[in-house]
Amino acid sequence: MRRLLSIFFLIFAVALILSAQYQDRFKITWIEPGSGATLPEFDAFDSVDGTLGVLNASGPVNTQGHPFFTPLGTNGRACVNCHQPTYAMSVSTTGLLERWRLTDGKDPVFAAFDGSNCPGLPQDQEKTHSLLLKRGLFRIPLPWPPQNPDGSPKPVEFTIEVVRDPTGCNTSREYGLKSADPTISVYRRPRPAANLKYVISGGQPIVLKTGTLADVDPETGNPVSMNLMTDAREPSLKTQAISAIMGHEGAHEAPSRQQIEKIVEFESQVYVAQAAHIFGGPLAVAGGPPALGPAALRDRRAGVLGDNDYDPVFGLFNAWKGTDYYRASVARGSDIFMYRQFWLRDAAHINSIGLGNPIKRTCATCHNAQMTGQDLSAGWVDVGTTNYPTWTEPATWAESSELPVFKITCARDADPHPYLGRVIYTTDPGRALISGRCVDVGSIVMQQLRGLSARAPYFANGSAKTLREVVDFYDRRFDMKLTDDEKEDLINFLEVL
Amino acid sequence: MRLGLLIVGAVAAMGQQRNFVSCPIVRDTKTVPCFLAEYDGELYYLGIQQDITSDFHPPQLKHEVLVEGRVVPGPRVCGGIPLQPLSISVTKEINLACNTLLPAEPGMDAPSAPRGAGPSSLRRVEGDSAREPLTGRHEFTVLYAFNDDYLEYAGNTVVNEAAAYAKRIGASSVKVAGYRATTLLSNGDRLVEKAGLAEKRAQNITTILRGLGIAHLMVEWKNDAEPGDGQTDPSRRRVTILVTP
Repeated sequence: MRRLLSIFFLIFAVALILSAQYQDRFKITWIEPGSGATLPEFDAFDSVDGTLGVLNASGPVNTQGHPFFTPLGTNGRACVNCHQPTYAMSVSTTGLLERWRLTDGKDPVFAAFDGSNCPGLPQDQEKTHSLLLKRGLFRIPLPWPPQNPDGSPKPVEFTIEVVRDPTGCNTSREYGLKSADPTISVYRRPRPAANLKYVISGGQPIVLKTGTLADVDPETGNPVSMNLMTDAREPSLKTQAISAIMGHEGAHEAPSRQQIEKIVEFESQVYVAQAAHIFGGPLAVAGGPPALGPAALRDRRAGVLGDNDYDPVFGLFNAWKGTDYYRASVARGSDIFMYRQFWLRDAAHINSIGLGNPIKRTCATCHNAQMTGQDLSAGWVDVGTTNYPTWTEPATWAESSELPVFKITCARDADPHPYLGRVIYTTDPGRALISGRCVDVGSIVMQQLRGLSARAPYFANGSAKTLREVVDFYDRRFDMKLTDDEKEDLINFLEVL
Repeated sequence: MRLGLLIVGAVAAMGQQRNFVSCPIVRDTKTVPCFLAEYDGELYYLGIQQDITSDFHPPQLKHEVLVEGRVVPGPRVCGGIPLQPLSISVTKEINLACNTLLPAEPGMDAPSAPRGAGPSSLRRVEGDSAREPLTGRHEFTVLYAFNDDYLEYAGNTVVNEAAAYAKRIGASSVKVAGYRATTLLSNGDRLVEKAGLAEKRAQNITTILRGLGIAHLMVEWKNDAEPGDGQTDPSRRRVTILVTP
């Protein structure tokens, strides 16, 4: 009965938010480039499940002329277009759809270069922006073959063919694989530009997963975490910012050193996390779970392994193991995340690096970095979201799947993908498009798990509209046999992060 | 004929050594899973699931495994005869027939493990104060799985140690030498690591050492595979790093 009441109130609350508050909120909280607003030290934004907290640790931020909030290229975009505070410094499909409606598709976020399914398509139609509007995906054009920093081609262990091309971009004579500049277009979610001290920490000279040297920061020469971006192709926040400005913003001239430093300075001090929940109440309170809310992210040390039972990934939730229905459910969800064992099987760069296949472990084995739940080592893993047959797309052919499909054929003398062999069908080869290695096909860098309620959809390919769909994927993929109650607990836990 | 006699002699000398290629078997227990392998009608215990820092890196379902180990007299473990010392090499190619996962059975327990299947209870201890600091000329050895150039966690540690030592003493030369080897199986067959592997191993280590800031590097490799004796073959799949003050 209590659960029925909870569900009723949840539906009521969501309906209320959607019908009334959202209409006004989006007009106020979507930050347009060059708007000149000042961001307060702490801001709170309504999310589906409560309130997202955004903390500027260095104090209020004047966006007037600030390079993060100012277009630096030719298409009117700034960093903020795709990294909005209200969406946990990413962007949600809810917000994008509203933006399309309000601007008739003219907002720079919908720029032809990567906001549409392909630049060559008519740009005034929702259907040519379907991957962005339905799944929050931006086009990421990557050179083929992959290149070294000096532009020379990298050695490649496989050939790639376009098997299916719903957007037309990969077979386009102008933008595709057989164009003058051979390009592979994949479609990916923008990652939160927040809590970044955790994302860039943990760099080791030798990458555990490959047994090779880690990339280094070109400015300092120090090894980097290789946890930035979906495929770890950029070593530092600075190189990422330059790449984004030259690509996503369509700049013809490189940004100045001062501009890049100011962007990185801003990104490095902004923290996002759920601050309150409609059923859980305020989350960051004395005596409560210690890792909740953005201030905890500001205050805690980065680069700490949390796959342990004394100082776990997201802290202890013992304080919530009481009688409050929702909070007790969250605490159980934390226990499931940390302790619920299952067979972790056939995941390249987890099972294949010396741990064994299968291993009997928990979510925290891979999502092991304190405070974010990323991997503390270079975190690309083929958990199966992009590679057939476990991919997140329909199991059998369906017109509704709008992602491209590539056929990867690995050379006979190359190490094959450890669980899929030498012929792999994939919607996104992931890290392999950067490394050129067969074993990396479908490997995607793990994302941080903070501010989730504000930035659906999930996975790098935006395939999970809800956290329930995320949990369902893992349940299917690893045959976890989660009960409905366990799923509910896990979802409630993820909602408060 | 002479070669045949030599092989027969070598096989006989192997005694309690077991070198074979087969599918691994995973057995669940109340705690962590055991990894086993069957050869010639007998079941052998290989080890249990632990961390990446463990000496034992378990095999993988979907892949055959090369087992090189010596029978340990005494009781069975997890239903299998234990082998020690033991070397495990996962073959790269997929074999879908390798898919045996057994449920836990009463009375079939895994040995006690520093870490269970859940999160770790072990607190990290920094440093190793008991070790004598190295002095003078020193050779570090990185070992590899068969036919593999992947630098495992243990090898990663060795390379870091070698680099730290070379820096500390201001090494006048650091000589990297790569090798590939042969394994003599218990059935008399010989497995030879692929050509070019010695060079690849040596070049990889050299690249890493250079990236770690080591100068005065020399690199060499031996193209011919080291011979196999069925006893010490894993020790010859290696790269040596000779650090000279």
